[in-house]
Amino acid sequence: MEYKEIISSALQALRRNILRTSLTMLGIIIGITSVILIVSIGKGAVAFITNELSSFGTDYFQINPGNSTFSSLAGTNTLTLDDVEAIREDSSLTNIKRVAPMALSNSIVTANDIKKSVSITGITSEMQEILRPDILYGEFFNEDHDRSAERVALLGVDVAEDFFGEETDPTGETIRIKDSTFRVIGVTESSSALAGSVLNNAVYVPINVAFNEIIGEERIQEIDVSVHDTEQINQTIEDVELLLRDRHDLDEGDESDFQIQSAQDILTTVQTITGLLTTMIAAISGISLLVGGVGVMNIMLVSVTERTKEIGLLKAVGAKEKDILTQFLVEAVVMSLSGGIVGIILGVGGAFLVSLVANIPFVIDIVAIIIAVGVSTLVGIVFGLYPARRAARLSPIEALRYE
Amino acid sequence: MSQPVPVIHLENVTKRYPLSDGEFYQSLNGITLSIHTGEFVAIMGPSGSGKSTTMHIIGALDTPTTGKYLLKGKDISSYTDDQLAEIRNQEIGFVFQSFNLLSRTTVLKNVERPMMYAGIPQEERTKRAMAALELVRISEKANNLSNRISGGQIQRVAIARAIVMNPSIILADEPTGNLDTKTSHEIMTYFQNLNKEGKTIVIITHEEEIAQFAKRIIKIVDGKIVSDKKK
Ligand SMILES: Nc1ncnc2c1ncn2[C@@H]1O[C@H](COP(=O)(O)OP(=O)(O)O)[C@@H](O)[C@H]1O
Ligand SMILES: [Mg+2]
Repeated sequence: MEYKEIISSALQALRRNILRTSLTMLGIIIGITSVILIVSIGKGAVAFITNELSSFGTDYFQINPGNSTFSSLAGTNTLTLDDVEAIREDSSLTNIKRVAPMALSNSIVTANDIKKSVSITGITSEMQEILRPDILYGEFFNEDHDRSAERVALLGVDVAEDFFGEETDPTGETIRIKDSTFRVIGVTESSSALAGSVLNNAVYVPINVAFNEIIGEERIQEIDVSVHDTEQINQTIEDVELLLRDRHDLDEGDESDFQIQSAQDILTTVQTITGLLTTMIAAISGISLLVGGVGVMNIMLVSVTERTKEIGLLKAVGAKEKDILTQFLVEAVVMSLSGGIVGIILGVGGAFLVSLVANIPFVIDIVAIIIAVGVSTLVGIVFGLYPARRAARLSPIEALRYE
Repeated sequence: MSQPVPVIHLENVTKRYPLSDGEFYQSLNGITLSIHTGEFVAIMGPSGSGKSTTMHIIGALDTPTTGKYLLKGKDISSYTDDQLAEIRNQEIGFVFQSFNLLSRTTVLKNVERPMMYAGIPQEERTKRAMAALELVRISEKANNLSNRISGGQIQRVAIARAIVMNPSIILADEPTGNLDTKTSHEIMTYFQNLNKEGKTIVIITHEEEIAQFAKRIIKIVDGKIVSDKKK
């Protein structure tokens, strides 16, 4: 067959009615655009979270007080340093590597004649291995700091710059937090895209000092636990849960007054959400494609009627049923495939913009694009077939006599 | 000496069209007619007399209700639609009164179209189309869009397309119906020249003056031949 000739005459026919053609393609454009967009964004989000997790590692889980993520922020106070100690000391929990508690607070910090409200984070030396920050100046806390009541502080890089200026080593300087003077022993920087802005905007002090000098009571917001063997992490989580429930005197059936979440859980949650979203959008765009297909069929039927005389003429000069069928089918496919290609371009372009704005990786999913091309071709064939058959079966004299 | 087989032989051909009320309209009432190679025939008659119906049957666009139609000795009355399409492609060249060309396509592509359906390669298509356009002196418009040329030029392009497959017969249904007198004569002169080169031509007209270009005039009234005269 003469596909070059047939495709070029299909393009001519569609160009003649450019507005009508574009409106007909709209349903297909919307369908394909939304699928490409959501698949790309979903993949970008998963890539982003995966990347985040690899900067912290997947070998840890976190325990928060209360039974929802928000209760720890609301000041629920169900975890104690004794809980931390119990997890550390339990000889049956052999998979546990480090147990790092964390306390959060806000306070006025004064240094270098500058006064600002800064978030204060009480931690222990164990937190180094979990947060994995870069040490820009000085050093991280060591085990001596965990035990002593010495007032020392680590500055997040943004805080250090706010008080002491860029590229300045503030080690050895003193800062005032609330009413106490602290000695700066180092500056840290987190490269995490998600948590970096929070982590780099905090002042870190030993957790005991935080309880005594700043918060005024023992209040733990989070315990991060790292493990030796990631494969066994779910078993370890269960063991820790049992231990804590036992310590908190909870009966069977009682809801835990704490929550445990592993890094893997977070990834799974994100994947579930994006998977669900993708399915939903796919269903919606399926409807959009169906509407688009019906539009293609409708316009092709109109076109067959409008071009009845042309069909008669072509039959008179020797076109067989298959020639007419092919011509109209190609026209329908060219129309829906063009819609598909416009949709792919808009979808990829949109995903690129979203990735810029949301600061997530830009992912092009080749499989989604191939499927989009396939689906829009299929829509053209399925919905173009009936009008094309009608054209092919017109009797030549009826077509020539048509007015 | 035995007569050679005629190109066209109709024997007692009738055509009835079903009407919407269940009745039939008898368009042809028993036409018997032979046309031989090299003839130039004009079919005349008043409007509605069955001229176009006759041409549709001769041109394999339609089949008789009763009677026989032999094209070069072959009975094509039981051919399938696709077989008839092939006959039209190979044996018949059509020129219609109006709507002869695909308007958003170039003159050249219009003339190439029958060869495309015949599966002739592109290069040869272009060569043969240009030669046909040359014959009707319109090759300089080859790359114009068909809606950018005049009515007389359109008919010349249609003639070029009708001869490009080198068919057994050229059928023209009122080819000058939309043209002024001067242009009509010009077009008829082209038909005459083609006939001098040996082409078999049948034209349909209701104008006596146009019919005079032909060598044989057949008159139809109410679906019957009432006179058949050779000059
Ligand atoms: N497909 C058809 N259905 C019904 N009537 C038809 C059809 N084709 C032709 N006729 C009728 O047959 C008669 C002859 O038509 P036609 O051969 O076109 O006449 P003309 O001599 O004017 O070319 C006309 O009355 C026309 O209305
Ligand atoms: Mg007529």
